Amino acid sequence: MSTPIEQNLSGGALGQPEAEIYDRGYRHYDGPREGRRHAIQALIVYSIKRGLGIKKRWTAKIIPILIYAFAFFPVLIIIGIRAFVGNAAGGGLNYLTLYSAISVIMVVFAAATAPEMLCDDRRQRVLPLYFSRTISRGDYLLAKIGGLGILMGTVALLPAFILFLGSTFLAKSPVSYFFNHIADLLRITAAGTLLAFLFASIGLLIAGFTERKSIAAAVYIGAVLLVAGFAGALFNAINAGWHRYFVLADLISVSDGLTSWIFGIPLDQGRMAAKANLNGAWYLLTVAVVVVACAAVMYRQYLREE
Amino acid sequence: MTGISTSGWMVETTNLRKSYGKVVALEGLSVQIPRAAVGLLGANGAGKSTLIKLLLGLQSPVSGDASVLGFNVRSDPLRMREHVGYMPESDSLPLDVTAADFVGHMAEISGLPSRAARLRAAETLYQCGVDEERYRLMREFSTGMKQRVKLAQAIVHDPDLVFLDEPTNGMDPAGRDDMLRLISRIHNDLGITVILSSHLLEDVELVCDYVVMLENGRLAMTGPLTSLVQGEGDVVVQVDGDVDRFIQGLRAKGLEARRRDRDILLAYRDDSVFDVVRDLSIDLNVLLRGLRRDTRTLEDVYLQRMSEQPENEAADVHAD
Repeated sequence: MSTPIEQNLSGGALGQPEAEIYDRGYRHYDGPREGRRHAIQALIVYSIKRGLGIKKRWTAKIIPILIYAFAFFPVLIIIGIRAFVGNAAGGGLNYLTLYSAISVIMVVFAAATAPEMLCDDRRQRVLPLYFSRTISRGDYLLAKIGGLGILMGTVALLPAFILFLGSTFLAKSPVSYFFNHIADLLRITAAGTLLAFLFASIGLLIAGFTERKSIAAAVYIGAVLLVAGFAGALFNAINAGWHRYFVLADLISVSDGLTSWIFGIPLDQGRMAAKANLNGAWYLLTVAVVVVACAAVMYRQYLREE
Repeated sequence: MTGISTSGWMVETTNLRKSYGKVVALEGLSVQIPRAAVGLLGANGAGKSTLIKLLLGLQSPVSGDASVLGFNVRSDPLRMREHVGYMPESDSLPLDVTAADFVGHMAEISGLPSRAARLRAAETLYQCGVDEERYRLMREFSTGMKQRVKLAQAIVHDPDLVFLDEPTNGMDPAGRDDMLRLISRIHNDLGITVILSSHLLEDVELVCDYVVMLENGRLAMTGPLTSLVQGEGDVVVQVDGDVDRFIQGLRAKGLEARRRDRDILLAYRDDSVFDVVRDLSIDLNVLLRGLRRDTRTLEDVYLQRMSEQPENEAADVHAD
């Protein structure tokens, strides 16, 4: 490859930025090749950028910005108010209520972002270019799940971490608060990661079956609402003991049950997950089954030859 | 690069079979392709694209086996793909990305570090004739520009072998000439071996020095281009002055001569005919401007082959 003839101009007294002059004649590349792992990382980064609308038209950035605004502002505002008027303000905000709100935001985020990651590659027939390189179809899916999982993780984890930090610094004794509540950091990580991959995997599964982003987004939100509606109706209509398991079909209730179990905070009695009163392990199992099933179906879908 | 077989065949297939439902795309294809600029010829539906996809591991054969650069495409596809590039026939570019970003991304997907990938992208796009335009979204590109970007992404990681599937598809004559020049340069100057699939005989004739011809999923013929097109042709004589008088002189010496425009076509007997022509030009005091064997075009070979081969038997015209 062409070796850059680098001229460092920054040594001068004026402190100009570094400049580089390149010989643009083609030469063979004899530098390092970092292999499959690097390729997967590169695809994760590229997917995240596309999901956030980076280097795309401004319209592609609107939804990510709004999502982040909805996810972060309530926490920041309540912590700000508490800083001025004391911890009594916004007393209803705890990790459970935070995740109840965030799980709804995550549904919208996954609906908007998962199609961005998969649909264009299919519609614009980019997949043969990927699959003719050093990554396998499984690697491609792994990178997409990883990319969306990381993006969803920022929404699932950061607001809760901010709440933790805010609570720590606003406590009378921040040091003792931190050490008394350090387990919350693990709980946040566990809950946030599980929810991120739950919503991401369903979003990617749906996006893997269509080339149209708008259809994928509509189907995702529609499916979540429809299934939740059916599950709620059956839950209320049937009273046979086993009817409690219908709650596992409602993603928001799964999120409620899981976070309630992880943080040890009881749910409001009006919530379906509270009425179902299932052991938290059922919600954990549901998340694991959904993520694995979605990955398996997607893998099968992508094994189909281009 | 390591691990590549530098001896033996560049591509080798054994009884390769591929079908899509009831449609058979490749039927027991066994071929050995040496390191050369290879033209993969055949009519639409002959199995060219299928063969390339099988060799890249994008599709799996029903039966048979294949190796590329010494790597088995079934058991070692990822290592093989480190060393090859692919320019597909169909549109395959994300339109809302700049050419520089996309080609750089493809370099990274081939394992190049980020910084090296960006530099290689700029350099390769420049070599492919995409300079300042590389910072524009590809939705604004013409067909020719898109083809150049497709070519750039195929060679950005400096492969040893690049598969080009109908690279001149949809291009106007000027763009087509440019693309063929570019491909020749990639092979001759940059040392990247090329397998060019095309249904256009002239494209192959201009770029390639070895030909693999497919017909209905079977091997029709294979061999170096020169051995396919040479031989059997007449001798072409070009003279200044009275062409008819020269023809009469040749006939007087017992040679079969006829006129084609300003050229004289002389039946080749043996190399002594060249001496006869030279001596006659001296005797008649005529300036001899050209004296060469008339070569067949690839089209002649193709048409002859198609007319000769009602059954799907394979003919190895020349085995190296």
